Amino acid sequence: MNLIIPAILAPFSMMMLILLLRRFPAALALMGAAISLLAGIGLLSNAFNGMAGELILPGLPDMPLRLIATPLTALLATLVAAIGGLVLVYAAGYMKQDSEKVRFFATMLLFLSAMQTLVLAGDWILLLAAWELIGLSSYLLIGFWYRRPGVRSAASRAFLTTRSADLGLYIAAFILISHAGTNDIATTLDSTGNAAITAGLLLLVAAMGKSAQTPLHDWLQRAMAGPTPVSALLHSATLVAAGAILLIRTAPMLPPQTLLVVGIVGGITTVVTGLIALGERDLKRLLAASTSSQYGLMLVAVGAGVPLAALLHLIAHAAIKSSLFLGAGVFQHARESTAFADLKGAGRDRPRIFVAFALAALALAGIPPLSGFFSKDAIIAASLSSPNAWVLASFALAGTLLTGAYMARALRILWRGNRQHRHIPGLGWMTLGLTGLVTLAVILGATFPSIEVLLDQSLSGNPLAQLLGLSAALIGLALGRFIPGWRLLGPLLPWARQGFAIAGSFDTWVVQPAYAIARACEQLERGLYNGVLAVGRAGLAMSRAARWGDERGIDGLIFSLVRGVHELGNRARTLQSGLIHREMAIMVAGTALIFVALLIGLSVY
Amino acid sequence: MTAQLFFIGFFGLAAVWFGVVVFRTFSMVRSALALLFSQTALGALFLSLQAEFLGILQIMMMATEMSILAIFMVMFMMDPGGLGEMEMTHQKRLSLGAGIIAFVAAVAVALFVDWGPVAGVAPAAAQQTVDLSRELLGRSMLIFETAGVTILTAMIAATAVAIQPLQQGGRHEH
Amino acid sequence: MSIELLLALITGAALFGIGVYGALSQTNLVMIMMGVELMLAWAMVNFVAFWRYLHPDNPAGQMFVLIIMTVMAIEMAVGFGVAIARFRARGSVEMEEATELKG
Repeated sequence: MNLIIPAILAPFSMMMLILLLRRFPAALALMGAAISLLAGIGLLSNAFNGMAGELILPGLPDMPLRLIATPLTALLATLVAAIGGLVLVYAAGYMKQDSEKVRFFATMLLFLSAMQTLVLAGDWILLLAAWELIGLSSYLLIGFWYRRPGVRSAASRAFLTTRSADLGLYIAAFILISHAGTNDIATTLDSTGNAAITAGLLLLVAAMGKSAQTPLHDWLQRAMAGPTPVSALLHSATLVAAGAILLIRTAPMLPPQTLLVVGIVGGITTVVTGLIALGERDLKRLLAASTSSQYGLMLVAVGAGVPLAALLHLIAHAAIKSSLFLGAGVFQHARESTAFADLKGAGRDRPRIFVAFALAALALAGIPPLSGFFSKDAIIAASLSSPNAWVLASFALAGTLLTGAYMARALRILWRGNRQHRHIPGLGWMTLGLTGLVTLAVILGATFPSIEVLLDQSLSGNPLAQLLGLSAALIGLALGRFIPGWRLLGPLLPWARQGFAIAGSFDTWVVQPAYAIARACEQLERGLYNGVLAVGRAGLAMSRAARWGDERGIDGLIFSLVRGVHELGNRARTLQSGLIHREMAIMVAGTALIFVALLIGLSVY
Repeated sequence: MTAQLFFIGFFGLAAVWFGVVVFRTFSMVRSALALLFSQTALGALFLSLQAEFLGILQIMMMATEMSILAIFMVMFMMDPGGLGEMEMTHQKRLSLGAGIIAFVAAVAVALFVDWGPVAGVAPAAAQQTVDLSRELLGRSMLIFETAGVTILTAMIAATAVAIQPLQQGGRHEH
Repeated sequence: MSIELLLALITGAALFGIGVYGALSQTNLVMIMMGVELMLAWAMVNFVAFWRYLHPDNPAGQMFVLIIMTVMAIEMAVGFGVAIARFRARGSVEMEEATELKG
């Protein structure tokens, strides 16, 4: 049986089951994720053996829907399922006391199946559909606690931002399909010339939206209003990865100019969001800015022409960032808040969790032998080897430095402070999930060589890159450990606190106009509704007028006729005087008239 | 035919003159008598027109009728003798105008219509009577039978109308 | 057009005119009836004149005169009956006072 089917359908069918049964949501969710993981591993082993799986579904005429399991896609499918499963284990504990578990796990499963479809998609149309679905599930999950203030607007903002960037994906897909004549992704990657340049830039726009690159990074900060498992799964490892995945898959097609733009965008993002992270006063928002920064690094790698480095970093980052978020979730439950002001010393309450958190943080900074070191190293090496080495390498190194700085800052704040002890329900499950992910974060570096073999590519080792990367990381860690964030940022602090908003940022340029258009549409609709009502009222008025006309006019006419006849009768009555001589006079006159008439008649005849 | 013409003219004039007298006198009896003479003159006119049976009939009938009329006059008039000289007419101008118009119209018809060839000779009186009686009992039998029934009805009606309405107890109101 | 005929007709016309005048102008019922008598007399004169000068051989002319006489008799009879009844009911036969049928 084609393993693609359970990979996608397992989470989906479990979601239906949860919605139908409304019981055992966590258990069913875990089962769905587990089956999907098994299927993914099966696909991966098939890929190792050189077998590529494929599933063709009937779609539009001449454009069937394709699901393919190449080494790349199988790898990504396994990754998604693994991270998803571990996060769901964690979520079983995190959501233990929440009243709406059914909705939560059902939506998480919806997301899982949509994400699996996305990574396994072989044609543009299916990819577009899955892209939309993950956007939808992101909206539903960010706004999960919709009754809390600010949550709904955060979800709408995130949705609107990514949605408007998705326009780029649509146009790029249409350009590629019409250029190549088929919707098969692999075939369209052979496009060259203007189509490739334009499509590449548009794909970059879509990736910027989904992966929260500057200037579209704001929505990710706001998305932290959702539950922590959501942040861990969607907004660190999988959904935001979709943008990077898109660029990694279409990298063969992108011409050098586009690649340069990709690299620059990624580089700017790395630096800007790194600075934001330095100034953040909320742990989850710091992690969100960090996510944007890391994806910026991945885009730098793609821009350098080595998508493999980006892929490796994606895999490593998935495990690292999700474990960071899971740890943050434990602290959140411990202190009922994610603001740094409340979290001071939270690490000291739960040392084991803190150790896990610290391991993941160091991995992110790029300390060997943790996985982050290998992937960062690959990126820096790639940037050094690219034609635009100066620009890209400086961005990459700056990003590495900043990573170390803000991670150290976070660790410092978490460790130093007062201790509070509070019982956290579901800690067991949460620890389990967290442990799994941290383990992955630590050991994934060892799997990289086999991935290289799988994908039939290799990375060039560069000792200079290793040296530069390591020193940048260490300097960053030291800076963050000893110097407070606000002093590091200096004059940039207020700007950083604002999220480096430029001219009112995306908010004023896109969101407010969108809201304004929505309000205008509502006004229009109300106007039309009133118009229809007015037409109805006009009809009623007409009918009233008709009735009035009938009553006054026609009836009036008839009654006046009646009155006229009455009057006439009254007048004529006076002729009847009862006096015989009068009547005789009338008789004579009448006879004379008859006589005359006869005469005329006879003479005429 | 001058004699006939003279007699026609004379009796016609008499009839008209007496007719005028009927309405000009104040005395009721005199107007009844004037009417009597007018009708008698008409009868004589018929005689002069060689309609002897009709003439005699006219004189006899009218004499009787007018006398009865005179009696009714005396019964019902306020002032049968006409001694009060009261004006007893109304809408005088209207009726005068109507009368004159009627006269003019009739004369116009008489003058302007072509009556066709005029017959000169009338049959003898005996012959007229025989023809008339034959006509009466022959062709016009139905008419006179009807007329007879009508007269009977009229007599009964007149009597019924003229009878006193019966009061309670069968007494006759006086 | 013989002169006798014309004369007779003119006589009749004069009687008719007087009769119309009388019928319309008199207040008393009996006088009105006298006017009617004169009008009928005109009819009779006309008939006799026409019979004599136009169709002397046809006795139907005289027939008609008999009929008119009959009509005169009937009319007088009924009229006087009505006059008696009226006199008994109201005490006079003046037509000026007979307004009961006023509509």
